Amino acid sequence: MNRFRSALMTIALAAVLCVSFMPVAGFAQANKIIVDGSTTVGPIAKAFAEYYMSKNPGVNITVSESGSGNGAKSLINGTCDIATMSRFMKDEEFKAAVAKGVYPLGTVIAVDGLAVIVHPSCPVQALTTDQIRDIYTGTITNWKELGGPNVPIVLISRDTNSGTYESFEALVLNKQKISDRAEYVGSGGAIRSRVQSTPAAIGYVGLGFVDKTVKALKVNNVYPDPATVTSGLYPIARPLFMFTNGYPKMGSHLYSFLNLYLTQKGQQIIEEIGFVPVTKY
Amino acid sequence: MQRQLLISKGARRFNRLGALFGHSLLGAIASSSVIALLFIFYFIMRDALPFFRIEGVREFFTSTHWYPSRDAPEFGALAIFVGSALVTLGASIVAVPLGILAALCLSDILPFSVRQVAKPVIEMLAAIPSVVFGFFALVVFAPLLQTHGGSIIAAGAWIVFAPLGLVAVAVSSDAAASRLPLKARAAGRVGAAVLMGSLAILALLALTGFLNRLPVSTGTNAFNVSIILGIMALPTIVSVSEDALNAVGRELREGSYALGATRAETLLKVVVPAAASGILAAVILGVMRAVGETMVVWMASGNAARIPSPWFNVLEPVRTLTATIAGDMGEADQVTGSARYHVLFAMALCLLAFAFIMNLVSEYVVRRSRKMRG
Amino acid sequence: MELGTRRLFNRSFSFVSIAAIVLMSLSLVVLLGPIVIKGSKAFVFYGTIEYRELMLDRFSRGNRAAVEAEKARAEAARKPVLDLIRGFEAQLDTADADFRRRYRDDFNELKSLVLELLGPMPGESEPVLMRQQYGQTRWDRARIKLDGVLYVEEYNYSDPTKMGVKVLKPRVDRFRGTSLEPLFGALEHGVKDMLQPRLTWYWRFLFDGSHDSHFFGGIWPEMLGTIYLALGAMLFAVPLGIITAIYLAEYAGESHFVSMLRTCISSLAGVPSIVFGLFGLAFFINTIKVSQSKSVLAGALTLAVLVLPTVIRASEEAIKAVPLTYKEASMSLGASRWRTILTVILPAALPGVLTSIIISMGRAAGETAPIIFTAAVSVGKPLAVWQTLAQPTPALPWNIYNLATEHQAIDEIRHVQYGMVLTLVVLVLALNLTAIIIRARISKKLRG
Repeated sequence: MNRFRSALMTIALAAVLCVSFMPVAGFAQANKIIVDGSTTVGPIAKAFAEYYMSKNPGVNITVSESGSGNGAKSLINGTCDIATMSRFMKDEEFKAAVAKGVYPLGTVIAVDGLAVIVHPSCPVQALTTDQIRDIYTGTITNWKELGGPNVPIVLISRDTNSGTYESFEALVLNKQKISDRAEYVGSGGAIRSRVQSTPAAIGYVGLGFVDKTVKALKVNNVYPDPATVTSGLYPIARPLFMFTNGYPKMGSHLYSFLNLYLTQKGQQIIEEIGFVPVTKY
Repeated sequence: MQRQLLISKGARRFNRLGALFGHSLLGAIASSSVIALLFIFYFIMRDALPFFRIEGVREFFTSTHWYPSRDAPEFGALAIFVGSALVTLGASIVAVPLGILAALCLSDILPFSVRQVAKPVIEMLAAIPSVVFGFFALVVFAPLLQTHGGSIIAAGAWIVFAPLGLVAVAVSSDAAASRLPLKARAAGRVGAAVLMGSLAILALLALTGFLNRLPVSTGTNAFNVSIILGIMALPTIVSVSEDALNAVGRELREGSYALGATRAETLLKVVVPAAASGILAAVILGVMRAVGETMVVWMASGNAARIPSPWFNVLEPVRTLTATIAGDMGEADQVTGSARYHVLFAMALCLLAFAFIMNLVSEYVVRRSRKMRG
Repeated sequence: MELGTRRLFNRSFSFVSIAAIVLMSLSLVVLLGPIVIKGSKAFVFYGTIEYRELMLDRFSRGNRAAVEAEKARAEAARKPVLDLIRGFEAQLDTADADFRRRYRDDFNELKSLVLELLGPMPGESEPVLMRQQYGQTRWDRARIKLDGVLYVEEYNYSDPTKMGVKVLKPRVDRFRGTSLEPLFGALEHGVKDMLQPRLTWYWRFLFDGSHDSHFFGGIWPEMLGTIYLALGAMLFAVPLGIITAIYLAEYAGESHFVSMLRTCISSLAGVPSIVFGLFGLAFFINTIKVSQSKSVLAGALTLAVLVLPTVIRASEEAIKAVPLTYKEASMSLGASRWRTILTVILPAALPGVLTSIIISMGRAAGETAPIIFTAAVSVGKPLAVWQTLAQPTPALPWNIYNLATEHQAIDEIRHVQYGMVLTLVVLVLALNLTAIIIRARISKKLRG
């Protein structure tokens, strides 16, 4: 009797397990979108995801922000559907992608300017790109060399997995080495909170992260705002990308989500977050 | 169900085979942890060795230039190793004396009822997740250090040195006075206490005055992380040391008391040496906890790949191995097989090797003491 | 040393060691104090009419009639201020170039600050982002924004040897002589009527999803993700751990294999958590591919390997603590070894094993490094059980890190960060407290 009962229980347990796992097979990938990548594009991706999920309740869009490089890697490995990046894909990444049968297609969803920010108590108002380069390579180490008080500069830079860092390196540093005194943080939000709490700090972030608690400097006498970024006046501007594996299937959720940046609501979201939409609706 | 009282030969053989099968099945399942550890070693080593094949060993261990993302990458991790070592050293300075004293207090000095209250406090401290410590270090402690850095360090110096100074002055004035003839002893004690006390207070004031004026340019530095890591390692050191002290047994203590020693002398001269191996094991475990901690250092150490100048300047930002792995893993391109990916696994291998060796050392120490005690 | 000195030393030593314990407890208080105080502000705070309107619109909570009556009262209080703004805007449109140049930028800044405080003006187009569709929902944030409206932060750079000094200048000075001058006094005195703050008890903070990147709403996806990860880790670790503990306690002799097994278990306990994360990524996701991308399953497996040594060690101690007489009595009655273990020893060791499981569950819930690469995302929906096999999830430890460092508006959501930290701490400490109580009950039973 005992054996019969335990056998019955085993069969029942197996049946329950089978039934609860069956929907996995039927649960098509079409109802989830996995977004991974840049922390600069992160706020846009999160706002888009929430807007899209509110209009399409059956879809689950998950957003990670671990760096442009991680997004590229995930796209290549096939572990994400959209890689948000604040820089273009590098040669090695393209080659590795094609070798794995992934054909990266980059869509520019917004334009961004790299603002160089300091604490509001810093008397410096404007710098040239040469001066910024000298600060970050360690040639200038004290604010007094720039007309400020005798306070050593606290350098804050983005981690090397960041597209923002790569853009900064290409556009400002001319590929020179950053001084080893630089502190590294992992995201734009972290740069802003370090700069707003450290009077002697300097850092660089995307335009969407600039607010009243930090001061954006004029670079080559041009103040970073949407007008100067789109007109090309501001010297450190860059596009923000969403990379997909080829063009998504027409009518799929991925297709609609990718093209949100073309809709009026999408561009309103981008503007409200603080970046620059690609066109004017 | 009826069972035979006398088992037949065939049935006995079947039973024995069944027991053997069950025994080996259990053993196989039990060795899952061995398999897990072997797999960890294998996978970390598999992805770490290509780095040494591509880049060689010398630059990794001797150069301080850490530029992994440039076109001509440099993988000098010496500054990162020094950063990890500095932070661990700081954590040990905070945690070891405090931990051993607390363990002594718990095992011998506190009455039972107070002990029942103190032990949950320690367990609570041990249970708090590391990200909470990291959050505290970044959001509460770092801004405090930046705005009132000097005062906090000075206050810390007061908390540490004032009780010690008090004790030292009392004991040494007493000891000095005892050399005098009986009549002058009381006056001598007071005089010596006043003299040494004023000297100590002057020294302390000078020290704290100096500390107060120290400029703290950034709140995310090695000091911040050392204090927090020390607090995190404390519960481990306290509980394992307390176990070691309790294991010493009553006979040793009672023998010492019978010979007229005070409690402090018993503890310091008899119990602690007897429990030395266990305390050493506790310290090793605490150090391992500090070395392997990721979230606190990632959030609050500043992540500057640079040996502070001078090396003991804890007010400068440092970078540790664990924070580098956590932070740079994003760019890790397994597919392109770049050295950037493999160098992180090389660091993980170093951490793993260090933890493994430390663990073996602590086991050896404990086993040898057990053998010596018989 | 003299006897008196020795006694004095003894007393000072006790004093110093008690000071050590006090210092340790003090550090716990210093650590948890701000977290408890500021974390409770995520649950109990003064909510404004904007908050109640948000609850009504998005969550269908609250008495519609009462909220609308309050809203009408608030709008009546705001009308003079908004009318002043509208009037000045019209004036600006028709004024000459000088007037425009002088006041346009200042006015735009003022208008955006007032709208941030009170919400969008009735009649204007509605923004898309939810954070801009409502005014300040919390009274403490509203007071900060009010200060931002009333005062301009300027910096005095006159001293060349120091960084600039912050100076607060009343914003009304910029609009002296214009029609906007009375706005500031009206705003300052009437803001309480315009926002109508009331003490709010938002216990649903634990059960609401987040709206607009945690600006509004609660932390339910993170809570659910943490629960899934902790339970999943225990699901894999407990059977393995208990069987290993049984083997070590009952079946193993003192062979080389067994001592190597014990060494391996203690080595596994000492491996840094980030190495587990790398292993989880390299093994579970890239090699045997338990899931296509990050998933709860991979995270749970990684956490299981992390807590396995703790479960083994504590369960083995619990099994060894069962008195030998139990086993002897059972075997003397003719029970086989396996039957003895299953029916006598395990039930007797159950409280101890349960304690170890609960403590390990707390550890698995709080670990961050293993789940960074295997299971955690910043934003996502709460998952159904079958979705956990293939989809990643937000989790409390990871999102605490994410909200404290990577978020776009870290200052606005401080209360959410503290609320998450408080929730995680309470969760873990509750689990540990349960374990302590169970252990106390066992020791009482064993002693009495």
